[in-house]
Amino acid sequence: MSRSSRRGFLRNLFLASEQKMPDAGAKTLVCVFLRGGADMLNLVVPYGDDQYYSLRPSLSIPRPNGDDQSQDAAIRLDEFYAFHPKLRPLLPIYREGRLGIVQAVGSDNPTGSHFEAQDQMEHGEAYGRTIGGGWLGRYLRTRAGKNMTPLSGVAIGPTIPESLRSAPSASAIDSLEDVQIKTPSGDPRAVSLALSAMYGAEAGVLGQPGRATLELLNRVESLRGRAYIPESGADYPAGSFGAGLREIARLVKACVGLEVACIDLGGWDTHFFQGTTDGLQAGVIDELARGLSAFDTDLARHRDDVITIVITEFGRRIYENASLGTDHGRAFAFLAMGGRVKGGRVTGVWPGLEEEDSPGPGGLKVMFDYRSVLSEVLSASGCRNISQVFPGFKPQPIGLV
Amino acid sequence: MESNVKLSRRNLLRSATVAGGILPLMGCERVISTFTREMGQTIPETVSVADGAEIDQVFHLLARAGYGPWPGDLCRVRSMGAENWMEEQFHPETIDDTLCDLRARRFETLHHEPGTCYEYKKPVLREEIARHTLLRAVYSKRQLFEVMVGFWTDHLNINIEKGDCIYLKPSDDRLVIRANALGKFRNLIRASATSPAMLVYLDGKENKKSGPDDVPNENYARELLELHTLGVHGGYTQKDVYETARCLTGWRLRTGWRKGTVYFDASLHDDGEKEILGQRIPAGGGQQDLDRVIDIVCSHPATARHISTKLIRRLVADDAPVSLVDRVAAVFSESDGDIKSLVRNILTSEEFKESRGAKIKRPFRFIVSSMRATGTDTHAHSPLIEYLARMGQGLFQHPTPDGYPDEPDSWMGTLLWRWNFAFALASNQVPSAEVSIEQLAKAIDKGRRGGTPAKLLPHFIGRAGSKRELDALEKYLAGRELHSNDGRVELIGLILASPAFQRY
Repeated sequence: MSRSSRRGFLRNLFLASEQKMPDAGAKTLVCVFLRGGADMLNLVVPYGDDQYYSLRPSLSIPRPNGDDQSQDAAIRLDEFYAFHPKLRPLLPIYREGRLGIVQAVGSDNPTGSHFEAQDQMEHGEAYGRTIGGGWLGRYLRTRAGKNMTPLSGVAIGPTIPESLRSAPSASAIDSLEDVQIKTPSGDPRAVSLALSAMYGAEAGVLGQPGRATLELLNRVESLRGRAYIPESGADYPAGSFGAGLREIARLVKACVGLEVACIDLGGWDTHFFQGTTDGLQAGVIDELARGLSAFDTDLARHRDDVITIVITEFGRRIYENASLGTDHGRAFAFLAMGGRVKGGRVTGVWPGLEEEDSPGPGGLKVMFDYRSVLSEVLSASGCRNISQVFPGFKPQPIGLV
Repeated sequence: MESNVKLSRRNLLRSATVAGGILPLMGCERVISTFTREMGQTIPETVSVADGAEIDQVFHLLARAGYGPWPGDLCRVRSMGAENWMEEQFHPETIDDTLCDLRARRFETLHHEPGTCYEYKKPVLREEIARHTLLRAVYSKRQLFEVMVGFWTDHLNINIEKGDCIYLKPSDDRLVIRANALGKFRNLIRASATSPAMLVYLDGKENKKSGPDDVPNENYARELLELHTLGVHGGYTQKDVYETARCLTGWRLRTGWRKGTVYFDASLHDDGEKEILGQRIPAGGGQQDLDRVIDIVCSHPATARHISTKLIRRLVADDAPVSLVDRVAAVFSESDGDIKSLVRNILTSEEFKESRGAKIKRPFRFIVSSMRATGTDTHAHSPLIEYLARMGQGLFQHPTPDGYPDEPDSWMGTLLWRWNFAFALASNQVPSAEVSIEQLAKAIDKGRRGGTPAKLLPHFIGRAGSKRELDALEKYLAGRELHSNDGRVELIGLILASPAFQRY
């Protein structure tokens, strides 16, 4: 070994000894993406604007009637806004101040294309200006120290979403069952022991991360060993969304260094027969609300360490269309949930229901660039280099967190 | 040997005709697999291993100047002589690569002129360039060439997810990187400077002066100095960046007819006088300004040092030995940036010989060397490519212009996926990648069934296993049927997952 490579070896040894297990107190950002362009006007209902009712003769949600338990009318939040009745499970969270809403958030994407608008938003870009990688990937890159593990960035599902592109390390998993050594004989224990014996003896740059990975497997293994029982009676809805949130909660509690989790909920592209308090959209709203409520309940002890955001690629038109649905629009209401959220209120100026006359499809006017909202969420997660996540972008203060 | 080659060429032609005939019946990939196996792209009957206490020098050369030995390579290179092998590698055009071509040449998006790829959908482009790169690395007999392609791809990084790069990178890969991988450094940089993909990636196409108040876009000029040539401590100033950017104004990409091709628009060029690194560029140079810039930066002593350091870091050790940097930088200046001369000096140096096992494989090398060591038959479909993304080295996906890092720390968070890849590959669970562990074990153990850890490990790491390594593997095997396929498959999986195989 030459002198210089010996120096390198010693340096690596030093670095390796400095490496630690993932910080158990790390903040987790959970990003729920409503694929298809959610009609948030029927989730956070502007009942105080009469035009809403005149523009949506068949699709509006009836005004609150004073009965919080009603299934047929909106649930009053304040003088102007009300929840879709299927959002009832989120009402206590809102009232306790842990659920915040920002009205009229959106991007400058004029195409009206799901694919283009989702890509742009997940990349965290302005229209037509590509940066490279996804916004969460770049965020994780600003965090990339020695603590990145396969569980630093996790996407629930089969593939890594655009938002996590260029992350130093990210995994697409359906469940914790993925975090294991899959051996042909199905006996990972013997294999782990052998790897332990080999990596345990490593002094160089491979030793510490090898041991950390085995430690991670052990932790997950011990989680997997016993059935996961959500706390405080949290009741996740059936289906992949509920199951995915349940896995995220499990990972948060396991302290495996989870910093970013992504999960999708589809079914929002309601061009036809959208329904009102009942029907197609009400079904997915129900799944969303029950999922988030269970997640909040389950993570009651971790509320200050987790922020959950709900985003979609665009809102929908204000007018209903001739097939009892709504077409692709512009701005939407953004939701954020967590102990550090200044919730219990709808932030932002109501832009009115005059459709935007800028290029692209009409819809609610965009008052806040989506990156301003994401910047606040990132700073609440401890991000110090927001300009590296959204280069060249100057966020507008919102006061959400 | 010579007559064998001729015979096999004749056979090749005859078989190719036959293969062409039955192609539609069998499916192209199965034909290629069968055919290449018949032509010798397989595991030989016996495979000799190096089992000294230290990593074998020939193994070391194959691991650094290539992606590790294919079964049988060690014996072949020993008998022809390491120097002869190296000389052959310096003249890749003389090495017959037909069998690799059969697998890798059929991706048509790689052969088009710049701009033609706009006719293809992004997923097709993304998949073809990645498959092509992986297949070349695994099967090419021009191993050094592929290693250099990998090096320059990082050095002149382009993220195909930015702008229109995905449509333009395939021709950049062919006309910039591959055309100059072992050529002259100046030609490589000159080709890159007006490569459509680079003009998009670093905004060169936006760099123009259309009015007296226009300021140049410095993005490419800065990276040209900071990353591609002089290096960040190369002694240039912010004024040099600005002046370089002025020289490069006016290079554009067509948007309508012949979309994606390059032209120079003199009306958008800043034709005033400039000064770069103390050298005056007179007014009125027009598009010649670009060549002047390239000449100045490529012949700068800081460039000789920067490029030599990076090459040594890749080929020798992360902490480049200063003595070797001094010598190679001198060769750079004397040879006018002749890449072959640089690499030859590095690979024949004492520092190179002493650096055995000092480097950690990046995910791409880990996957490629695993498949080479096991003689894998693959056509590199997307599940295989996905493993790279999981390990953090998605091909042509690095977002920033500095390319994927060489430092091992960056890659240590995804060991779990390496281990799972190791077991999946050994047990034929990676879709579209077939290995025959039984055949490999038999070849290593001289025709006997089985293959103990002590016999098998050297094939993968080029030296005898240490007592600790062998103990761990033996302990694993205790109480397990070695001759059962599961036992052997897991043993090979463990070897691929072991720390020793992560080194090279």
